[in-house]
Amino acid sequence: MTNRKHFIDELNELNHKAIEMGRQVHDSFRKLIVACESQSLELAQAIVEQDKLINELEISINVDAYLLIARQCPVASDLRRTISVLKISNELERIGDYAVNVARYIIKTKNNNEPFLKAIIELATLLLDMLDKIMTSFANEDVQLALDVSESDEVMDNKYRSYIREWIKLAKTADEAAVEEAMRAVLIVKQIERAGDHVVNIAENIVYLVNGKRIELD
Amino acid sequence: MKNNVFNIKNLDLFYGSFQALKDINLTIEKNKVTALIGPSGCGKSTFLRCLNRMNDLIDICKIDGEVEYHGDNVYEKGHDVINLRTKVGMVFQKPNPFPMTIYDNVAYGPRCQGLKDKSKLDEIVETSLKNAALWEEVKDRLKDSAMGLSGGQQQRLCIARAIAMEPEVILMDEPTSALDPIATLKIEELINDLKENYTIVIVTHSMQQAARISDYTAFFLMGDLIEFDQTDKIFTQPKFKQTEDYITGRFG
Repeated sequence: MTNRKHFIDELNELNHKAIEMGRQVHDSFRKLIVACESQSLELAQAIVEQDKLINELEISINVDAYLLIARQCPVASDLRRTISVLKISNELERIGDYAVNVARYIIKTKNNNEPFLKAIIELATLLLDMLDKIMTSFANEDVQLALDVSESDEVMDNKYRSYIREWIKLAKTADEAAVEEAMRAVLIVKQIERAGDHVVNIAENIVYLVNGKRIELD
Repeated sequence: MKNNVFNIKNLDLFYGSFQALKDINLTIEKNKVTALIGPSGCGKSTFLRCLNRMNDLIDICKIDGEVEYHGDNVYEKGHDVINLRTKVGMVFQKPNPFPMTIYDNVAYGPRCQGLKDKSKLDEIVETSLKNAALWEEVKDRLKDSAMGLSGGQQQRLCIARAIAMEPEVILMDEPTSALDPIATLKIEELINDLKENYTIVIVTHSMQQAARISDYTAFFLMGDLIEFDQTDKIFTQPKFKQTEDYITGRFG
């Protein structure tokens, strides 16, 4: 029973937008994997286009959240939800940007750097799993799942580091052009590794949303 | 605890056979603002009135437990109620200035206590009106009737009248519910200033007012004290579902 039906409806709408944003970002990374696997430049271009929608959703969430704060003065769990959704949308927007950066790399290199594409696919698959879990955690307010995602990020970081070590070795024996290519690939996989860090930030916000505690996950 | 002005222990209050307060345990800290919130009939005003024994005026009211003011139970037989009400002043929902001049309203209490010295009374009136943030608005018309003041000014006059008695605690029972938003903000600002020198306990129906001005918040429901904590905690992370439901408006 509530005396604030309109407010609750608006808060639910805010929540749905965050879930939709998560779905769009998840879909961008799914497309990214397919684009790498199928050598589809059209799909890579579609990711760049999809980011516009993600950015619009972020702006829309921002506006809605500011209005909710100004007009409804949310408190307690309502306040935590408003603030969490605001911050989560920020993180999702950044993750979406990383997908675009990788997509642009694919377009630029015309999908012909197979060893690097393999690394992108592997890290993006890990990230896709993290995104899947984090948005499920958000929808179900599942703190344990949010904490599990933080552990998945460690797997991602280790994978990232092992690729870097491998490519440094490669660079020592390769010619100048190959070194340049490897450097570019390092910067690109770094994008996916950073996206993982932002997923962990979302996990921190879910913990705050559910139990009001601010924690720092490594 | 030496910083506590009031220490309420196992307080029960009955109006006839109806129990309006049930086993209340609460402390009121010195120089802090404590807000009492809860739906109508929850017992918050009844609790407020226990602090300076205003419920004595109700025949069918019976009280068990202790209301300790600096360690002394105010309900103990022989407790000096007049002195208690001097030290624990009260401001009500509706401004209730006496039908006399602004000056006489503020000087009323000290005069009742036998103070006749004109210069001393002048000083008390000026200081009290200044502390109630009203002096600048009325200094040139102290001999005018208080009834000609606006609602907000009348309420600040009532606060000045309470301050003139040099109380330690000021109880406020919905002091802004009859005022417009600007007058309300002035009173809220005043409450923030007053806590430097006074301890304030305020009953309010406005949860946002409690959030804005109080250090501690007590949430009452059907005679029970459900939750008492720092206001910051109550409004961001209440411990109990009933508190959460009430402050978020999910309470039927």
